[in-house]
Amino acid sequence: MRFMVFVRSPDPLAALHTDALERGGVLLDAGDLVPHACGVSGYWLIDVRNREEAVERVKRIPLPACVVEIRQVAVV
Amino acid sequence: MGATTSVHRTIDAVWRMESAKVIAALARYTRDVGLAEEMAQDALVAALEQWPEEGVPKNPGAWLMTTAKRRAIDQIRRRENFNRKVEEIGRDVQEATPDASEGIDDEIGDDLLSLIFTACHPVLGTEARVALTLKMLGGLKTEEIARAFLVSDSTVAQRIVRAKKALADAGVPFEVPEGPELQTRLASVLEVLYLIFNEGYSATQGDDWMRPELCAEALRLGRVLAELAPKEAEVHSLVALMEIQASRSKARTGPGGEPVLLLEQDRGKWDWLLIGRGLKALERAEALNQPPGPYYVQAALAACHGRARRPEDTDWQRIATLYEVLGQISPSPIVELNRAVALSMAYGPAAGLALVDEISGAKALQGYHLLPSVRGDFLLKLGRTKEAKAEFEKAASLTRNERERTLLLERAAGC
Repeated sequence: MRFMVFVRSPDPLAALHTDALERGGVLLDAGDLVPHACGVSGYWLIDVRNREEAVERVKRIPLPACVVEIRQVAVV
Repeated sequence: MGATTSVHRTIDAVWRMESAKVIAALARYTRDVGLAEEMAQDALVAALEQWPEEGVPKNPGAWLMTTAKRRAIDQIRRRENFNRKVEEIGRDVQEATPDASEGIDDEIGDDLLSLIFTACHPVLGTEARVALTLKMLGGLKTEEIARAFLVSDSTVAQRIVRAKKALADAGVPFEVPEGPELQTRLASVLEVLYLIFNEGYSATQGDDWMRPELCAEALRLGRVLAELAPKEAEVHSLVALMEIQASRSKARTGPGGEPVLLLEQDRGKWDWLLIGRGLKALERAEALNQPPGPYYVQAALAACHGRARRPEDTDWQRIATLYEVLGQISPSPIVELNRAVALSMAYGPAAGLALVDEISGAKALQGYHLLPSVRGDFLLKLGRTKEAKAEFEKAASLTRNERERTLLLERAAGC
């Protein structure tokens, strides 16, 4: 199942070390969002087995003081 | 969800992410994949016992690794070659702690690659390679593999035990092969991944949940392999092929589970994100400028359909050319039959019929229902309805699929 990970970070998303997602074979897509007043925003779209795996995968990324929201993508 | 269940789901997730790395690193120390896998399993059991009580550690991967290494030491101590091996790995264990802050991702790439090549070693039979790959690299449990392949848990367990023994008996080294051996061994790895993918993609029976899981796992392992072996065009090609095929999974069956042919599929149901990823992987393969392999050609064929938003946009001339290339790499009358279909779409039914008549004597096509089915289609388009009817009836008598037989008889009746 797919999860959208929204990240609000003081650093650009490209500066974050997300290769663990890539090397793990779960990163489908990534992109920036229009900057927010509280910082730079972006997203990762990952394909994992369940929410717990999504959380564990994101926990492996060394993030600065970020706000992270993980939402499951609805299956149409 | 209870707290214990939640912890167990977290342990499952951690295991899925870390088990291959733990096994790979242990196998490097012990030079014994079987022992490494057993010790990693022991660490999992310890986690299942301790984490619900003590909480999930801050660095669960390092915890599993340290615990597994300690178990390995204990195990080796019981073995007669204790003195030699303990010296090799003892130092390493003494330095590690369960709360080690560093992850186990760093420098693990070569070990993981070695593990992939070992699990897919040609000394093993196909079923053993598949089971071992899913177990050691996918982190799947024995019962999950059994459900996916519609066999008993004990059958899978035996396959895995025998496979590990066969690797040990054959003295398979834990390493990434080099030189000419690399290509043979890589072909074996790719074959296993594509078999796993097809098992999930092609099957029309079995557990609804586990089958798509096989496709997803094969695709994930393919992506992992592409990161580990970025200079191998066939790896990127296989990833491209699987991404594009997976993109059609929601469109390839009708409401009653009946198969929907490619040209009749609702392309709005195709997953265009996966198609985009597939096309990108194909570009990575092409950029390496290596001679086209079978996965490259198949991926390029899939891409021809993937690029077409409507069936009439399909580049049939390129498809016909690609089938010709595929026929040179892997000669087969089935490939030629596919080429005949492409020729018919590109240049008209007469071109397709000429090739079909040329190959109709091939032994491999005798009794193959698609030969008369395709020939009937060409004849019908050429207005030779009486001959077309006979071909459809012949095809209906040969197919074992009830739905297909009904369809063919309807076509015969309509001639």
